[in-house]
Amino acid sequence: MDLLQRFTHGEIDAFETLVRQFQGDIYAWTVRIVRDPGVAEDLTVETLWRVYRARYRFRPDGNFGAWARRIATNLAIDHLRRNRPEQSFAAEPAGGPCPDPLLQRETRERIRQAFRRLPAKLQVAATLALVEELPYDEIASALGTSVGAVKLRVFRAVRILRKRLSQAGIRPE
Amino acid sequence: MKEHEDKYMTEHNDRQIREALKQSFPPVNTELRRDLWPDVLRRLDARQVGVPWYDWALVGLSAVMFLAFPRLVLVFAYHL
Repeated sequence: MDLLQRFTHGEIDAFETLVRQFQGDIYAWTVRIVRDPGVAEDLTVETLWRVYRARYRFRPDGNFGAWARRIATNLAIDHLRRNRPEQSFAAEPAGGPCPDPLLQRETRERIRQAFRRLPAKLQVAATLALVEELPYDEIASALGTSVGAVKLRVFRAVRILRKRLSQAGIRPE
Repeated sequence: MKEHEDKYMTEHNDRQIREALKQSFPPVNTELRRDLWPDVLRRLDARQVGVPWYDWALVGLSAVMFLAFPRLVLVFAYHL
């Protein structure tokens, strides 16, 4: 019996081998989304626990890594939803691009704040596509959707962000 | 002409937003710092010991039903 079959039968040794093989990949994927090592570790443990609990639903001829990554993505989206900042940021008079590094730092912080207020699904698609620059098909597979849907989410994220930043008087340099 | 200019400005702004996002989020270290297997194992043990609340609710409901209607025991035994 191969490793994945033994895993679906609930053999803990097989599961341990899979955890050791895939924990790095799941963590790397999660930390790219949540951008916090501590949170990413907790979510990776939670992902692996859910993977074990759902082992009966996994087909041994399937792609274990892709399946685990999808579970991790859903957990990361839930985490972003739960921790979405509520308050809006104060508007400031619009200004041109500023060379002052302190102001640039502040502008970036406000862009990050505005970005974290986006709906979680848009945030994840935009983070993976624009910040991490990962291929759209890889993102689509992890989100369980089509490449077209991912492109649409990224487009919507950019448009909403542009509108909010403009309303707050922030002009990215 | 105006429509063309607006479209150009929107695309230009979108490009700026994409660039600003990249600059606003510094790269993260994707290397896992420790083995997570002990944590996973602890989680598995912890969840296996606990009995879900709905199991306890079912036990309680059955006890109340049998006390209120003792003849139900016979029906229940027959179906078992």
